[in-house]
Amino acid sequence: MPAYKLTYFNVRGRGELIRLLFAAGEIPYEDVRIESDNWPELKPKTPMGQVPILEVDGEVICQSMAIARFVAREAGLLGKTHLDQARADMLLDGGIDVGKLFEEMVMEKDASKKAEKKKEFGEKTLPPFLALYEGFAGDNGYFVGYSLTWSDIAFFNMMDFITAEFPSALDGYCNLTKVIKIVKRVPGIAKWLKERPITDN
Amino acid sequence: MPTYKLTYFKSRGRAELARLLFAAGGVKYEDVRVEGEEWQQLKPKTPMGQLPLLEVDGVMICQSKAIARLIAKDIGMAGKTPLEQAQADMICDSLDDLGNKLMFLFTEKDENKKEEKKKEFLEKTLPPTLDLFEKLASAEGYFVGNSLTWADVNFFAFFDLMNGYIPGDHLKVYVNLNKVMGNVSSNPGIEKWLKERPESTS
Repeated sequence: MPAYKLTYFNVRGRGELIRLLFAAGEIPYEDVRIESDNWPELKPKTPMGQVPILEVDGEVICQSMAIARFVAREAGLLGKTHLDQARADMLLDGGIDVGKLFEEMVMEKDASKKAEKKKEFGEKTLPPFLALYEGFAGDNGYFVGYSLTWSDIAFFNMMDFITAEFPSALDGYCNLTKVIKIVKRVPGIAKWLKERPITDN
Repeated sequence: MPTYKLTYFKSRGRAELARLLFAAGGVKYEDVRVEGEEWQQLKPKTPMGQLPLLEVDGVMICQSKAIARLIAKDIGMAGKTPLEQAQADMICDSLDDLGNKLMFLFTEKDENKKEEKKKEFLEKTLPPTLDLFEKLASAEGYFVGNSLTWADVNFFAFFDLMNGYIPGDHLKVYVNLNKVMGNVSSNPGIEKWLKERPESTS
């Protein structure tokens, strides 16, 4: 087995999907968390001046989704056929804009602007997205075919962030609730959720 | 090979990468271009109300990058190993990040502000990013391994599109990146497509 070393800040952020996938696949890896103070020194050594980065046998990959897709493949969670894999990719990409808006809301420093953004997100952005994805999730609780893929785990990760601000977001969404239940019960993930460092975001 | 049907508007936009890949792979596909009422009729039947849309034996896939990656895999241009595939994904995601910084072209309504932002993009944003891409491209002109992948074609498609909005020889000083562009445009299928494709400003 190659040696995997993940480097990111001490947050969940853009690293957590990768960590969840390593956990789901029960793949050992080095989970390096750097302090903001150490970042300027490391930055020029990375391919695009960003983290997370994954070092695999001396090669360095950046871009959180490229890394996540790589780990998903190693964990056997990519999807069985090219078409299944494309469906997973499609569903992941479809959530990116919503994820960005949520991130903007969380990072907003001005309290009244933040409250406005939260209201807009909760009332205008989130409901149509969840209604759409309820339709994408099968009533067996999988987004792609009849088995777990990284698509389910990515949705879980996204909702993990979102339900911190909107606890009842998934009320009434049977299929999506099933997806979350199934992901939480994956042995490697259940273990990781108990053991992972607690961070604000 | 499955049957492929690509649907998009009458432009290059977010579908041209898929078309270039089909051309590179010598794969026949239906190149459907819609607008106006035809699109309004089709929209509710699509997975996310967006184009481009690829139908593979009738199965609908949307999201331009998911579509491109699927075609790349089917034609053997996604990267030969999992690591190479990750490297290709990394380049393509970085191109998306750069593309996001050009969104002002569509969202900025004030013409003066738009010109200012263009200037800032060309002077402050583009050069350091191209410096990084230059390092990632090989001296032979490939982003991944030593043969054409969708990462190279995506890079070509990006500047093919950008030049329509902000004309200029943006890659002038970049030796490796120019080789990438040359490798893509001289791929026989792509060369033919570039001569034959419908004209559009974007």
